[in-house]
Amino acid sequence: MAAEIQWLDLIQTLLDRSHRWRPEDLAPVLSEAAGRLGIATTVYLIDYEQRQLWPLPEPGRPASEALPVDASSAGQAFSLVESVHVRTDAGDQWWSPMVNGTDRVGVIQFVVPTGTDPDATLQRRFEAVAGLVGHLITTTTPRGDRLHQERRTRPMTIGAEMLWQMLQPWTVTTNDFVVSAVLEPSYDVGGDGYDYAVDGRRPQFVILDAAGHQLRAGLACAVALAAVRATRRAGGDLRRQARAVDAALQEQFTDARFATAILAELDLDTGVLRYLNAGHPPPLLLRGGQLVRSLDGGRRLPLGIDDNEITAYGEERLLPGDRLLLHTDGVTEARDTLGEQFGTRRLVDLAEQHHVAGLPVPETLRRLSHAVTRHQHGPPADDATLMLVQWSESAAERTIPPTSRRPDDDAEPR
Amino acid sequence: MTPETLTVDSRDFADHGRLVTAVGEIDHDTAGRLRAVIDEALADGRVHVVLDVAGVTFCDSGGLNLFVDAHRRTAARNGWFRLAAVSGSVRAVVDATNLDRYLAIYSDVETALDGD
Repeated sequence: MAAEIQWLDLIQTLLDRSHRWRPEDLAPVLSEAAGRLGIATTVYLIDYEQRQLWPLPEPGRPASEALPVDASSAGQAFSLVESVHVRTDAGDQWWSPMVNGTDRVGVIQFVVPTGTDPDATLQRRFEAVAGLVGHLITTTTPRGDRLHQERRTRPMTIGAEMLWQMLQPWTVTTNDFVVSAVLEPSYDVGGDGYDYAVDGRRPQFVILDAAGHQLRAGLACAVALAAVRATRRAGGDLRRQARAVDAALQEQFTDARFATAILAELDLDTGVLRYLNAGHPPPLLLRGGQLVRSLDGGRRLPLGIDDNEITAYGEERLLPGDRLLLHTDGVTEARDTLGEQFGTRRLVDLAEQHHVAGLPVPETLRRLSHAVTRHQHGPPADDATLMLVQWSESAAERTIPPTSRRPDDDAEPR
Repeated sequence: MTPETLTVDSRDFADHGRLVTAVGEIDHDTAGRLRAVIDEALADGRVHVVLDVAGVTFCDSGGLNLFVDAHRRTAARNGWFRLAAVSGSVRAVVDATNLDRYLAIYSDVETALDGD
């Protein structure tokens, strides 16, 4: 019982102090509060390219090193959304995934004294604290620049700065639905963007590629995303959203600027997917271990071009567990030294491998995106954006920390 | 991008026509020169513009942007813009973006030059 009160005290301390703390106070406040339980903590944030985890500096402590996601216990906790327990001479370490709801923001390292019983109760507490800190990071980040800076390995272009501020978190999950996206090049994105809304039983999602490069394309993308949201939030359906983008782009740009896009809506009770394809690469339907087909319906002109026809929605009935992979042409058209394109085949093969390996949806995307970057010879010629949507309870569960997956089977002894 | 990646020539036909021939790659970096040639045609009152893309080996959204722009501006002057000798990579990118429904597309230059 005494332990429970101590943990409650830690959580209360964090919340009390969070009201008025500055971005740089978050990690030291956690350290101080956890220190009272004899536990040392270090908070790591993931960078925009999702390659390394960067420790938040704390006064009076030697700086820790950044840890590579692909080759560290910290990275394992991050990528698989699982707590990792490591025994060392200095004591037992736990690496707990830190999500903001379901979006992976980093990990927390907890070091406990040697001999501490590494039981499920302890793991649950670490994951709960990491979850709380994940939410607090999200609410604290806008207060200043510090937490933004900790996640950057280099300065952003103006276009990238603008775009990232408009975008939704990488990953959002509900009970039986996951939507996740990834964008490259992180510090120099131009016209690619995505959006989603998971309200009710009919989540909507959009992937978008505005023509042009850098800031000019970014401006068109921003106008398009805002038009989609404003219309959706006023109750407009996909077709109205597309029309709103047509009008907004024509009004704001005199140079025939357009954007290609997929706008889609999935009914989680029936599995019926409705979509519009405004000149964009078609969504790929993946089932079990393979590509079922590309969804070639719902075609209309790119957004921003006066389409006077009423486009019929593309429709497809999904089966539970089905995945939809959406991408911009920068993914499949990335060229290697020989000029060979990354291509749809390679994209689908890799997506399947990662699915069979049981990776969480955001991790599949992270790896796909890095595969495109590796394939690419020289600096990317275009933005490359991927979005993966899955209609599945188990996929949804895989995006949250293990002890939160079954809150009814609480690890606490009763 | 070297400047040699796109060459543009033009000649007049009929009363109000100008045939523009592009050879090479049309992308965001090179589209500006092609745009300038089309601007010139419109400034000269040449509102029937045919763009011969037989020699175009690559076209990205910068090129598509230009086609849409040319279509709109000629139409606003009661003229027209036609893409001629469309095949290969231009065909692929126009089809992929559904712009085949918007742009006037001709498989060869002679047909594009004929008629109103």
